Amino acid sequence: FSLIFKDVTYICPFMGMIRGTLTVTNYRLFFKRVEKDSAFVLDVPLGVISRIEKAGGALSRGEVSYVLVCKDIRNLKFAHKQDTQGRTSVFETVMKLAFPVSHNLQVFAYEYGQIYPENGWKVYDPSAEYKRMGLPNESWRMTRINEHYELCDTYPVMLLVPANIPDEDLKRVATFRAKNRIPVSLNMDITRECGQSRSVLSWIHPESQATVVRCSQPMVGANGKRSKDDEKYLQAIMDANAQSHKLFIFDARPSVNAVANKTKGGGFESEDAYQNAELVFLDIHNIHVMRESLRKLKEVVYPNIEESHWLSNLESTHWLEHIKLILAGALRIADKVESGKTSVVIHCSDGWDRTAQLTSLAMLMLDGHYRTVRGFQVLIEKEWLTFGHRFQMRIGHGDKNHSDADRSPVFLQFIDCVWQLTRQFPAAFEFNEFFLITILDHLYSCLFGTFLCNRAAKEDRFLWSYINSHLEEFLNPLYVNYSHHVLYPVVSMRHLELWVGYYIRWNPRMRLQEPIHHCYKELLLKRAELKKKVEELQRELISRSASSSSERAASPTRSVTPVQTFV
Amino acid sequence: MFSVKPPKPTFRCYLPPQQTGIKKPPLTTPKKLEAKLLPGEIVVNEVNFVRKCIASDTSQQDLWGKLVCTNFKISFITDDVMHHVKFQYKSFLLGEHDIPLTCIEQIVTVNDAKRKQKVLISNQKLKFNPTELIIYCKDFRIVRFRFDEAGPESAKKVCLAIAHYSQPADLQLLFGFEYVARVYYNSGNKVNCVDPGGGGLEKKSLCEQTPLFDKPSDWDREIKRTGASEWRVCSINEGYKISPNLSEYFVVPVSLADQDLRQFSQFFTGFRIPLWCWNHSNGSALVRMASIKDVMQQRKLDQRVCAAITRSHPNRSDVYKSDLDKSLPSIQDIQTAFTKLRQASVIDPFEESEERWLSSIENSRWLEYVRCCLKHAAELVYMLEGKRVSVILQEEEDRDLSCLISSLIQVMLDPHFRSIAGFQSLLQKEWVMAGYRFLDRCNHLKKSDKEESPLFLLFLDCVWQLLVQYPAAFEFTETFLTVLGDSLWLSIFSTFLFNCPQQQDEHCREFVKSRSISCGDEKPLRFPPVWDWSQQFSEKDQALFNNPLYVGKSASCVQNGAVKSFKRTKKNYSCTLRGTSSLKNGLLSEPEFMPRRNSLVLRLKADFSHVRDAPDSPSEQFFCEWFSKPADLQGLLLPQLLPSHIKLWKLYFLRWVPEVQINMGGPVTAFHKMSVLADEIEMLQQRLRQYKGVGSLSAGTPEAHQSRMFFRASNLSDSSPMPEYLTSSFPFSPVGNLCKRSILGTPLSKFLGGTKIWISTETLASEAM
Repeated sequence: FSLIFKDVTYICPFMGMIRGTLTVTNYRLFFKRVEKDSAFVLDVPLGVISRIEKAGGALSRGEVSYVLVCKDIRNLKFAHKQDTQGRTSVFETVMKLAFPVSHNLQVFAYEYGQIYPENGWKVYDPSAEYKRMGLPNESWRMTRINEHYELCDTYPVMLLVPANIPDEDLKRVATFRAKNRIPVSLNMDITRECGQSRSVLSWIHPESQATVVRCSQPMVGANGKRSKDDEKYLQAIMDANAQSHKLFIFDARPSVNAVANKTKGGGFESEDAYQNAELVFLDIHNIHVMRESLRKLKEVVYPNIEESHWLSNLESTHWLEHIKLILAGALRIADKVESGKTSVVIHCSDGWDRTAQLTSLAMLMLDGHYRTVRGFQVLIEKEWLTFGHRFQMRIGHGDKNHSDADRSPVFLQFIDCVWQLTRQFPAAFEFNEFFLITILDHLYSCLFGTFLCNRAAKEDRFLWSYINSHLEEFLNPLYVNYSHHVLYPVVSMRHLELWVGYYIRWNPRMRLQEPIHHCYKELLLKRAELKKKVEELQRELISRSASSSSERAASPTRSVTPVQTFV
Repeated sequence: MFSVKPPKPTFRCYLPPQQTGIKKPPLTTPKKLEAKLLPGEIVVNEVNFVRKCIASDTSQQDLWGKLVCTNFKISFITDDVMHHVKFQYKSFLLGEHDIPLTCIEQIVTVNDAKRKQKVLISNQKLKFNPTELIIYCKDFRIVRFRFDEAGPESAKKVCLAIAHYSQPADLQLLFGFEYVARVYYNSGNKVNCVDPGGGGLEKKSLCEQTPLFDKPSDWDREIKRTGASEWRVCSINEGYKISPNLSEYFVVPVSLADQDLRQFSQFFTGFRIPLWCWNHSNGSALVRMASIKDVMQQRKLDQRVCAAITRSHPNRSDVYKSDLDKSLPSIQDIQTAFTKLRQASVIDPFEESEERWLSSIENSRWLEYVRCCLKHAAELVYMLEGKRVSVILQEEEDRDLSCLISSLIQVMLDPHFRSIAGFQSLLQKEWVMAGYRFLDRCNHLKKSDKEESPLFLLFLDCVWQLLVQYPAAFEFTETFLTVLGDSLWLSIFSTFLFNCPQQQDEHCREFVKSRSISCGDEKPLRFPPVWDWSQQFSEKDQALFNNPLYVGKSASCVQNGAVKSFKRTKKNYSCTLRGTSSLKNGLLSEPEFMPRRNSLVLRLKADFSHVRDAPDSPSEQFFCEWFSKPADLQGLLLPQLLPSHIKLWKLYFLRWVPEVQINMGGPVTAFHKMSVLADEIEMLQQRLRQYKGVGSLSAGTPEAHQSRMFFRASNLSDSSPMPEYLTSSFPFSPVGNLCKRSILGTPLSKFLGGTKIWISTETLASEAM
């Protein structure tokens, strides 16, 4: 359905007042300028709206104005005449539609029925992915203990765990890890919950057998509780890698925060309890700090950039500093696995925010497969969706409670880090910037169900269907498949940049950021054209030389004058 | 200049360790290490058993050798092999470890035991025996030598010699004079009197294609090329009779007679008559002018000049005057910014300055000045192109900012100046011949720090910004710009050695007289211009200057050596693809208003793609309109000027910082891929020409493929593997080039070997094995 409202003014921060017609559907808000010759339109999915506020300001009499604060780094301000008959404003209608969850309505994706030629569900097949990594093997076995999400409701059904740990032990480990998230490896995450720990494998090094294992914090508590099973479990993870007699445990948090967690029953592994394990804190701040940083960043970049203090303003948001710490953590993990041939266990508090960022970034550095379009989709499926990143909680789809303390740009930060990697290695990724922006846009749009819930469930995977059906638009023409090459980014402020193509894209003065791709594509076209011409000429010359040789036999004095053409 | 170095294990003897961590020199006396000398180069002083420091925190990788001071350079000669060097930039004129004396910024000597440190200046005494010598270079390198095992007296002597020879008392003591006299005028032997720059190849070299604007014919050709029919070449300054710092030939309005000009000249600062720079195809002219000294004459003279310029305009339109002194930072401001930027880039400790990196870049104000220059040039482009009026650049002496602004305007407006030969001719025209004081601004003689200012580098940076924004619009690469910037510090080329052409002529004449060299030429002694790149680099290495994306336009730029008249062509490769990308960033195609339901998929558009309803200024409106259309790379180019558009030129400023080097990454990896494709296209084009020309398949073996590209396609298949030696510093190597004093940190090998941070001790131990 759609509602049409005439005589609405869009107050654009760049071009001033624009009069037009506003169309509202259950999916989006569509604004079109009145004048016929103008192509001005706004097309905003309701899902990006974070809150709607009545705004003051100088308006002509009898007008009301509303600001739509959006999750994609922009604010939209509209004004319209107050209805004399006292009917509700357009924006009260919008409010209802934009926050269906708060009004007991369904999010649009559940009503959207577009069919794509490819089924996005097929993108990620856990057993195929494990098979690619040569798993299970003699050290790691597959368990279906979590088939009915009994072990841990935020873990996938299929888990890889050390071969010598029976399922019964896993259950005990789970009780020692927060939210039952045992360490599982390379994609093995072990849920450790409430005094239980289980780690689950995420990735395994093809040569050294060093593994990336993820889990949640151990439930050590203020009394320094220990779990023999958890200790044995981590030992088993270490033993599964014959190359190293050490295990590194990366705690994503600043050590102060980890200590503070003890009072809430959580904590970190003591090196006394875990022989041969070394614990490293990565100093990445929590979701609240990140949310605040993004808020400041929005102030700095939207709508206008202050000319004289751009860099120091950017610095004061600390956004890039946080990006740096996340990348630095991932780099340390990748280095440990690649150069140190050591298995690593990664956790934060619950193991679904910072842990997901770290494992997926480390895996991007280590394994070229994840740098392809499909591999990246697998990575998101594996490390984010099936391991229970709380998308609904962190984004707040369709929920009007914009000040909810659980919201945080965790996934945005991850994508930003990926973009930073693509900047440093312009030929190492199969996808382009537009691919990353598209994923982020649909993180909020609620058009596809992919990112709608808190754990891998029955939601659709049409985003992958959509992307894979329009692959051409998302490809990096400069891609070189050097899959065996480990990427070591330089994690320094000297190289980190603000992703202007995303954060400043609403500013009309920003233009294309990747002109090189376009130039390169033109060259590709040119090459194809030339190849065709050369082949044509070759054929022509072959046939001509065949005929002329027979002619020459008849009249030997005749010669062929070459045709001079300029290319 | 470039060669890939395979890591070679070297055999060394070590003495039993006395001081821990310090590597000992070889026991055996080193075999004779000889400096490679250029013609005319002599060894002034030398010292053996010197250690060149490679890493800041360990001496394990240091090199043992001999330190030599010549009249041209500091040379370090060693048999040791440097590790971790992935790729090495090599010039014919310099060895791996050499530093030209003109490249020295500061010489610091240190005595550890006495805890003394002294900045050495010529003719000063040094009261202690140095244990260490640190050379701060103009190109941002920092090189350190240790004298722990060297003879204290000889070490001291070498340091003093370096200080002395790097601050020559007279211009003619700069090495170039000796060198040029030897190479081209072998003391009276006329046979060797080759015109520098003449290659003798059938194909015209880049250098020959570059007019030097020292002849009336060069100016004539430029007038014709730009269609400036109302302007003429004026030769009243022949023999520098009017102004000592103007070139002998320049261009003036037709309506002004030589007599008038002679009379005007006395009222202008430096007797500098207003100079024509360039003509727009719409008839507007770009003119530069010094200030009028005589206040009484100011108005009258101003009017006369403006009237003459107006008369040379086809529409007799007005003249717009821009006072550069008032609108731009002063040369001192620019120097200060540069010093701060150097501090932030290479001197501040790396890890500690990370947190404040962005604000320290901002505080230097360098990027602000880059933006300011681009912005001012763009405003004046609007005057010439949009308002179709002639523009006068006025500056006190017309020898600094006018060089920068006039060249920037021309780079934006005229695609000819975006080719290599065109760009070189622009520098020749607006900098060298217009009397930019290279000698003083570079401070080659280290006479006065007050005169020093990196204006030329600021210009290169501005061009780099345009290159980044329009990567396919320029025939050259950022490597070209960097190498050009580095060539400032070689005292061999005429281009960057003098304050004005007159100074060159005078000193050359004197020098010839004092040495009684007979040249048999009306010109006394001719230095080669830097444009003769074969003096420095091999043919193959010069290919790094060529931008692969420029393919397809190069042919139309220069034909038969002469440049076709400059016209705006509508043909534009970029149009089509720009269109398709619109979904990302605005530019909505007309009919797509309310999309059909099945196209619900989000296609985000920018808030608007059109001109503002109420733009701030006419120039703003002009820019907006220009930006709303796809750019014609062979037409006008305008810079994008949001602060977020202006970037730090990392290749230039950070190439020596080991911590910043990305292995197998950086823009060069894209450059590699593009080069290979461009090479394939060239091969196909060549084959096409052959087939068409010969008319048969068999006739003629295919001539060897002459590639413009440094990276070649192996064959016509897609897979050319990326060379392992590529790094973000390519073609430069940070190894041993930025060695700050005793800063604790991660060993250099870690940075260069791959990982960058916080490597645990365990990893280090295993790697050290």
